[in-house]
Amino acid sequence: MTRPYTVVALVPTGIGAEIGGYAGDAIPVARAIAQVCDRLITHPNVLNGAQLYWSQPNVSYVEGYGLDQFAAGRWGLRPVHQNRVGLILDKAIEPDLRLRHLQAADATRATLGLDLTDYVVTDEPLGVSLRTSEAGASWGTLDNPDSLLRAAERSIDRAGAEAIAIVARFPDESGDAFDRYRSGQGVDPIAGAEAVISHLVVRQFQIPAAHAPALSPLPADPSVSPRAAAEELGYTFLPCVLVGLSRAPQFADASTGEEGIVRSRDIDAIVVPETACGGSAILNLSQTAARIVAVRNNQTQMRVPPAALGIRAITVNSYLEALGALVAHRAGISPAALSPHLSPSRPLS
Amino acid sequence: MTTHFITAEIDLTESPKQLHQDIEAELEKRGEPLRWAVTETNPETGKAKVEAVVTQDRNA
Repeated sequence: MTRPYTVVALVPTGIGAEIGGYAGDAIPVARAIAQVCDRLITHPNVLNGAQLYWSQPNVSYVEGYGLDQFAAGRWGLRPVHQNRVGLILDKAIEPDLRLRHLQAADATRATLGLDLTDYVVTDEPLGVSLRTSEAGASWGTLDNPDSLLRAAERSIDRAGAEAIAIVARFPDESGDAFDRYRSGQGVDPIAGAEAVISHLVVRQFQIPAAHAPALSPLPADPSVSPRAAAEELGYTFLPCVLVGLSRAPQFADASTGEEGIVRSRDIDAIVVPETACGGSAILNLSQTAARIVAVRNNQTQMRVPPAALGIRAITVNSYLEALGALVAHRAGISPAALSPHLSPSRPLS
Repeated sequence: MTTHFITAEIDLTESPKQLHQDIEAELEKRGEPLRWAVTETNPETGKAKVEAVVTQDRNA
């Protein structure tokens, strides 16, 4: 009798994670973890590579607010074969850029076979504002969140959407923060606002949602880092979002007696950057029996290692070591047995 | 509805569960929490710095 070995992989967005803080550059981490577990639950920041993505049957695309509720034991995850994906476009997107997004959507319908509903345009510009906090994290707010929620309601009730892709017009970027991001350093200046946008829809409607920013195209730049290069490939950041949402698990009440729902108690391990242990999900999951694996060489702008909050975790130097820790854990092998020196058994003091 | 970026300082506790409850209770005084994280801790002062976005009803 066995249970599926289930891992949660977290790389919070907007905190300058050296791996995963750029253009879907944690996808290799997700692919590797997916190889050593039965089920990987992760979130859009890990899997969104703009035009690039990698969809696997045992990898679940779970939006951050939904993941927080799942970790809190309030929501469970119901696997699906396919979601009808609704598309919401910010009224503020210019006609040419809107056309690019509609063509990206049509491309996923024709070339990937995704099922998209008729799209909805918000009744007001959403009005995204960006900020960088004292801690160095990226955050953002919306002038018109109600317009977003009205559009989502129309998409669900009238278009029949089961998951929502949101495209908001973001300020066209310039300046040091933006240049550093494209060169593979620093914090993604738009990430925090993106999370707020999708969180609003997931909180209100309890269905999968994710965001892709609408930005004007940029001239070719030889200084773009490989980690940020996936965002240079096209006119939109939409394909990865549509692919992710097309098979994102639905949210169910965790107390349901329904079979086949994945709950927080089903989690065996969580992999997280060592300094980013201050989020709601990791605090809640630390209360379960799951093993927390903190990765030292994925540095972030945050300064919250597990011990600072009384969270029990094992710390490894790299994702390669993390994979080893997961394999050992899954096999029921104590990490101490894989070291050359093993102390004799001691009496309890 | 309006969205607001806020910060808070919370007393550190030995229990992550208690800390989570304390953070949400503090943020709920200022709106409905949407997204938050502890960004830094200070063992000397025993405080955790929290950054968050909360929402408020327009009529509130």
